[in-house]
Amino acid sequence: MQSFNPTAPARGVIEAGLVCEDLHRFLFRHLAARADLEPGSQQLLVGGVGSGKTTELLLGERWLREQGHALPLYIDISAETDLSSLNSGSLLASFGVHLGWSVLNDPALRPLVNEKTEKLKETYSKVTEYAYGKQVKRRVDPLENLGVVYGALQSHFVTEELPGKLKPVLARDIREIRQPLEEFLSVAREVNRDVVVIFDGLDRLLDPTKFLSVANQDLRLFRELKVSILATAPLSALFGAEVGQSISDHFDRVHHLSVIAADPRNGSLRSVLEKRRGSELLSEQDADSICHYSGGVLRDLISLARDAAEEAYVSDRDSITAADVEKVVHQLGTGYLRGLGPEAIKTLLNLESSKSFQVDQAANVELLLTRRVLEYSSTDFRVHPALLSVIPRTEPKRA
Amino acid sequence: MLDFESQPFVEIARRLEMRGGHGWIAVLSPPSSRALALDELQTELRSILQVPTRVVPLDTFTFEGLREALQQPNDDAVVLSAGAELTPEKWSRLDIMRSALERIGPVIFWLAPNDVANLTGSAPNIRSLIGASIFIAGPDGGIMTEEERRERLKELVQYFGLSNEEIVRRAESKELPPEPEFVEWLVLLGRGDLV
Repeated sequence: MQSFNPTAPARGVIEAGLVCEDLHRFLFRHLAARADLEPGSQQLLVGGVGSGKTTELLLGERWLREQGHALPLYIDISAETDLSSLNSGSLLASFGVHLGWSVLNDPALRPLVNEKTEKLKETYSKVTEYAYGKQVKRRVDPLENLGVVYGALQSHFVTEELPGKLKPVLARDIREIRQPLEEFLSVAREVNRDVVVIFDGLDRLLDPTKFLSVANQDLRLFRELKVSILATAPLSALFGAEVGQSISDHFDRVHHLSVIAADPRNGSLRSVLEKRRGSELLSEQDADSICHYSGGVLRDLISLARDAAEEAYVSDRDSITAADVEKVVHQLGTGYLRGLGPEAIKTLLNLESSKSFQVDQAANVELLLTRRVLEYSSTDFRVHPALLSVIPRTEPKRA
Repeated sequence: MLDFESQPFVEIARRLEMRGGHGWIAVLSPPSSRALALDELQTELRSILQVPTRVVPLDTFTFEGLREALQQPNDDAVVLSAGAELTPEKWSRLDIMRSALERIGPVIFWLAPNDVANLTGSAPNIRSLIGASIFIAGPDGGIMTEEERRERLKELVQYFGLSNEEIVRRAESKELPPEPEFVEWLVLLGRGDLV
């Protein structure tokens, strides 16, 4: 049952062979191949929460590594710094730290590094200062301290913290980091390895305006440095009217990782369960039911299967029953339902009956971001089936 | 009104044990006796998972502070306790830093019932990891009335022939065997910290 863990780190799940690599038609290969072939290219992977973006990026990273002529660097930026106060230079700072560390530790680069170890270590320390800040000593003139009249009137030194880009906020010129980055990149290129940086976690910035404002300057410098980029972005980057357009214009390619329809004919979702030996736990019927109620959201699919097995276990039964599936679907649906007002419920019921959904409205984008509405294509929107199963059908009373 | 399943703390702890690591769960606290219930939840987690358990309040948090609290160490059980101060804006900030919260040990969100709306509406990334694992602290989860508590304590005193003070003294001097009855006894005395 531990193969059904929706919170297990994606890297471990890939290494355990529990991932269907063809689920999105080998999208990771397309992403990685373009990044490899066009140094300086910038691609965006857009998808809803739990759609499998991290898995695709990590598969892409592994593929690039296997090809042997790129140095891929996977960075979950949201684990390194507080994205809510992210500023220009943060992406470059994080990249610099990862790149420097890789260059200094990659066995393939060791002969080159050995020739200039001291210089590269010095450069690495510049990069870490840029990222994390440094302590500096500052001379204090006695006139600055006229309020304090004790002791001799002579200058002295104080130690101050200068913040870095990953410990914001400090407006420093992002050009400061260019030269150290070029130094590391030249070492990698001496052995014909172009650098591809994979930024995960940027999709947490649900507001695409914020995404663009912080990424803009950094992305420009990455392009100049001929470093290819793969980055994630939230669904609002695709559907949020004007900003969505500027994001599309900025990137060379925007890939949409849409939800996978629970269609028994193509069997994609069933293959996800099978890969994790789901048939040992679930009957055909229950597996189909779980696929349907997941709505094709991969994390919900894994979660429902795990939770149904857990229900059976805590009830001291050896196998999952339809009632277990029903119970966990109800739990999931109730979670999605909480906090929805009468207007939102009306929109959802209207979508269900008329298939009509105005994706340019802010309130509707919100429904997409919170996964109450799922996007199967740019024109096919549906209510999450687990939510649909618990929506009260009578007209809600107004307060 | 539709509601979540009610589960005693012992079942919640068993579920986390079954998951074997990286488990995320949300528990909706009872409206009254919140502190006592939290104490009892910790006791069940310690007893079943056999790992230390900590409560990390979410009323004021910073990225650095929360990351350090959850990653050092990263294999014990952490209860993230949300209070009324956790506004939708703060939930959004917390959501952005979800990756910094990911760890080997279990993460338990201790929420007031009305927090679920904020969780779903403002923190979709966190909600996604919790999935369907949202439970109400169940009636068997030890939400006893004061009378029931006194009655149970009387039973324990009579059965073991020891006073409440003696139990606390023995627990403090590490002389108390780790039997479930003694664990329960200490919790009923509000001394779950000695378990």
